Amino acid sequence: MLMPHPLRRGAAIVGSGESDEIGFIEGKSSLELHAEAVSNAVEDAGVRWEEIDGIFATGGSGRFPAAALAEYLGIRPRYMDSTQMGGSSFLFFVHHALAAIAGGEIEVAVISHGECGFSGPRRGGRGTGGAHQFDPWDPGELYERLYGAWGAPAFYAHAMNRYMHRFGATREDFARIAVVTREWATLNPRAVMHSKQTHPYGGPIDVETVLGSRMIAWPLSLLDCCLVTDHGAAVVLTTPERARSLRHRPVWIEGAGEALSHMNMSQMEDFTATSARDSAARAYSMAGMGPGEMEMAMIYDSFTYTAAVTAEMLGLTPRGEGASLWAGDDARPGGRFPVNTNGGGLSFSHSGMYGMMLLVEAQRQLARSAVGLPGRQVEARSAVVNGTGGSLSTTATLVLTAD
Amino acid sequence: MSPPEEPAYTRPIPDPDTITAGPFWQGASEGRLMLPRCLQCSRAHFYPRTICPHCHSRELEWFEASGEGTVHTFAVQQRGLGGWNDETPFATAFIDLREGVRMMTVLRGVDASDPASIEIGAPVRVEFERAAEGVFVAFWRVVGPGPAGGGQGEATGC
Repeated sequence: MLMPHPLRRGAAIVGSGESDEIGFIEGKSSLELHAEAVSNAVEDAGVRWEEIDGIFATGGSGRFPAAALAEYLGIRPRYMDSTQMGGSSFLFFVHHALAAIAGGEIEVAVISHGECGFSGPRRGGRGTGGAHQFDPWDPGELYERLYGAWGAPAFYAHAMNRYMHRFGATREDFARIAVVTREWATLNPRAVMHSKQTHPYGGPIDVETVLGSRMIAWPLSLLDCCLVTDHGAAVVLTTPERARSLRHRPVWIEGAGEALSHMNMSQMEDFTATSARDSAARAYSMAGMGPGEMEMAMIYDSFTYTAAVTAEMLGLTPRGEGASLWAGDDARPGGRFPVNTNGGGLSFSHSGMYGMMLLVEAQRQLARSAVGLPGRQVEARSAVVNGTGGSLSTTATLVLTAD
Repeated sequence: MSPPEEPAYTRPIPDPDTITAGPFWQGASEGRLMLPRCLQCSRAHFYPRTICPHCHSRELEWFEASGEGTVHTFAVQQRGLGGWNDETPFATAFIDLREGVRMMTVLRGVDASDPASIEIGAPVRVEFERAAEGVFVAFWRVVGPGPAGGGQGEATGC
């Protein structure tokens, strides 16, 4: 008989929080967004501050994010991690924290994110995705950005075009993902694109609106692209024993896996795939579960294309048919397989590194603490969560369940 | 009498890494595409490194590449970094070189305002443009039609 993986269910997510405001917040630093999120997550989990012995943090908080955050909060943890793998970093953190908790090194871990993706560049600070200084000593700068590619869409568009060429997918297929994801945002009052009240262009959209939106980097148009916002978010992880004593239904980490295929896009072997194939295989293997046992998915949607190709890598659709996950009613509100129930990076919020928002939403859905309009809280008891960082470069996959 | 001034190169100007990639930049200034190749496993790589990414040997040599390749994929940029922002729309592409490595470029010889007219799989040749004193940048130009029926996806695997 196969032995269960020693890390399986070795820790649980027991609470989550966001910065007090999300979206476009002119007056706050990334550290302030971090701190609000951690404060809200600690309160949500019901743990005591003095219990926190592990800090895992990155975002727009200087060169030593975990150190900066621990100091700011007045915590002196004995386990610290500032891993930077792009937007997927926070799911890498879960893998690392799982090992640290299951290995007995720590009991309560806080994973945190704070980033002024919108406001930062406008006040001369460092954001992501915007204009930046050309660094000739970095291979990605010297041999790729030399050719003017500006920000993530400039690169991802190449992969989408190659995928369309290989599999015959169309811009309409991808546009449907933006439409369905927006439907979820209309149920989430915190979503930036929830309604005309939250944003001039908020509320429901159709495929024609997506196709007709301003071209950013063909074949990606504006509504194929995620938002650019200010956002803080955090989750609390702890041991199975401590988890059972807290207020929320524990969200068990059944499996976690990480992988990368490249850093710079010229080194990407297969433009129509991502390393989520590998990180998902590792996560499913640890969990002893497969895609057929998943009841919902939180999939990094920096772009409609990212979500589509990832759905394939996670085994949720046949190869070359990733967008089909959104083609019928399954992924929509009320559907049999809810996907990106917060409204996604496309319509909820995306500060540049979106992975933490996936994690917060998965915890809320499985713990039954999602707040919003009727239909927002789903019935799923298992979720596959996948983060993608860089230029389709790094991935981390989690398999989560609730009893 | 001084020679007529060339138009200024307003885009990002590379500051060549001459320790790792000297022959690449020297070759570019002479109109030759130089690539690093491993003496142990004989495979080429790009960008230039001090260690072979295939077999991890540090015994490398340089050789002159054919300067021929095909368009692996492309995108059309509506905004650009630095001076490129004044040249939108422009097509960027990843090129499959005959030598088995891939390079990014701004694609020449195409109409970027009509993405449907640009072909994946089209043959390209390298050329070099002066960016600053002694610094030349490699660009790839489409030199013929792509494969009939768009079968390049099968030809190169993925």
